[in-house]
Amino acid sequence: MRCAALISALGLAACDNVSGFGGAVPPLATIEVQATGDFAAVEVSDSDAPMLRVALVWGAQWLTEPLCILPPQDASAAALIAAGCRDPFGFVPDRVATNAPLAADGSARLALLDLPAADVMVGNVTARVAYGSLVVYDDRDGDGTLTLGRARRLPGREAGPPDDEGKASTDRVYAASFVSMTEPDQRLAFREGGFNRSAAFYPRSGCADPPPSFSIVSAGGFTAVAALAAQLQGVLPPEDPASCGEASTDTPVVVAYRAPDQLHQLACEERRRDSSIRYREPPADPPDLTGRVQACVAVPDFGSGQANGMIQLAISGRTGECLGLTHYVLRGCREDALCALPDWDITATPPSWWPCMSGAAR
Amino acid sequence: MWRSIVVLLCWAALARLARADPRADDRALLDDDTWRYRSTGDLVVDGGLVVGFPAALPTGLARGVGLGVSSGHQLAWGARAAWLTATESSLPWTVTHSDLRMRVTGAAQAAAGRGTIGLRLGLGGTLVNESRVRNQGMRAGLSGRALETASLAMLPAADLDVVVALHVAGPWLLVTSGGPSIDVVDSKLHGGWSAQLGVAWQP
Repeated sequence: MRCAALISALGLAACDNVSGFGGAVPPLATIEVQATGDFAAVEVSDSDAPMLRVALVWGAQWLTEPLCILPPQDASAAALIAAGCRDPFGFVPDRVATNAPLAADGSARLALLDLPAADVMVGNVTARVAYGSLVVYDDRDGDGTLTLGRARRLPGREAGPPDDEGKASTDRVYAASFVSMTEPDQRLAFREGGFNRSAAFYPRSGCADPPPSFSIVSAGGFTAVAALAAQLQGVLPPEDPASCGEASTDTPVVVAYRAPDQLHQLACEERRRDSSIRYREPPADPPDLTGRVQACVAVPDFGSGQANGMIQLAISGRTGECLGLTHYVLRGCREDALCALPDWDITATPPSWWPCMSGAAR
Repeated sequence: MWRSIVVLLCWAALARLARADPRADDRALLDDDTWRYRSTGDLVVDGGLVVGFPAALPTGLARGVGLGVSSGHQLAWGARAAWLTATESSLPWTVTHSDLRMRVTGAAQAAAGRGTIGLRLGLGGTLVNESRVRNQGMRAGLSGRALETASLAMLPAADLDVVVALHVAGPWLLVTSGGPSIDVVDSKLHGGWSAQLGVAWQP
């Protein structure tokens, strides 16, 4: 009215309530997080007081490498898988979207100012979805965000692109709403367009579709055995419908404190997401194997016989670091150990430290 | 063969018609009076396309139309109005401003040959209609004020324009003007500029 009066009077005084690009930006969604449990019981004591924060981490579409999902051929391979492979059904972080401090009462509010980018959504433009896990962490490096680490691989001899040395994350994860598909989870979903029920992106088969836009969806989880059996039948592992839930973002996400060593991989991203392996030529000098687990295992050929008994040396990362394997073969290519024209072939002259009895027997 | 005959007949007919009409030269499209102008009146009405800096946005180019009327010779007074729009984006917002610029003007001007050059001061207000849309809000399911807001403001404003007018023919002039402008947004001075290219009618 005041403005109208001024205007009607050809007012020369300002009633300037235009905002332009300024003013508060309303969030696209606000997520309430409540951490429960006894933090002191799981806290890893450091000299510094913990700086607990909550991060929204969008999940990556990731496939484990064959060595980690196939039945181990012996005890050494089983030990290697245990030490170097991450949970094939676990949540794999792609990108940290936003962070907020955790209050003393264990609550936090995450304001989402941006939609998930297209590269964290799975599907096409008419039906795509993104899933996120709410992660409570101790921001030990003090940068205000959950820092994602990457597995450290051992160097090879080959002359090629420089080795990705990986990176360590000092941030310590204490709770997460979505840890693995083999556990009950609560996850933030963002759905755009339709929903592809046959997509195997953190599937919730048997549950209702996530509602359009942001929502909090939950599932009870399935066992690894059930997942593998379903995979062999060509279907998605079913969830118990009674354990499913679809709610608006007004619903608080409840996370329970856990020992950080159970959740360390939630702060680890993956280099390769398509189950492909990068093989390396073993160096002349022995690599530093301190704190690592190694095994001589067959190169997987899924029963085709192509490998013809070819052996690789697989070495895990160090304890406490992001999980990952380094693969050495005496003959092969960077992308394919079974390539017809190998980039290197030192089967006749393996390095003196090479521990595997049989090299490439092709 | 027939085509050639028809063409020759047409040429012959045109030549005969031209010889038969003694006033053919009088009906030429252009003659000595074509660019003759007359400017006896005090009243000038002009209008044209306007571009300028948005009145209340920190960036962008506003485009629209303007209309003005003035009276007088060496010293003239008048009124002007222009309507301009500009749409610009930041990460969270897409903002559209529609500016209605209303000014009372006073000008000092001098004739030079077929032209007139002058300096025009305009005082008044700019009515800004703002429409803001939260980027990505529709995809996120926002609605109402969380998605879109609209507001209105009247900003005190002033313009200083150099005006050049050129008599073209009869009562018609080609007019261009431009110069700095200033308004008050959030109790702060906000500088800008504006320019207009159009035609004027001076009976």
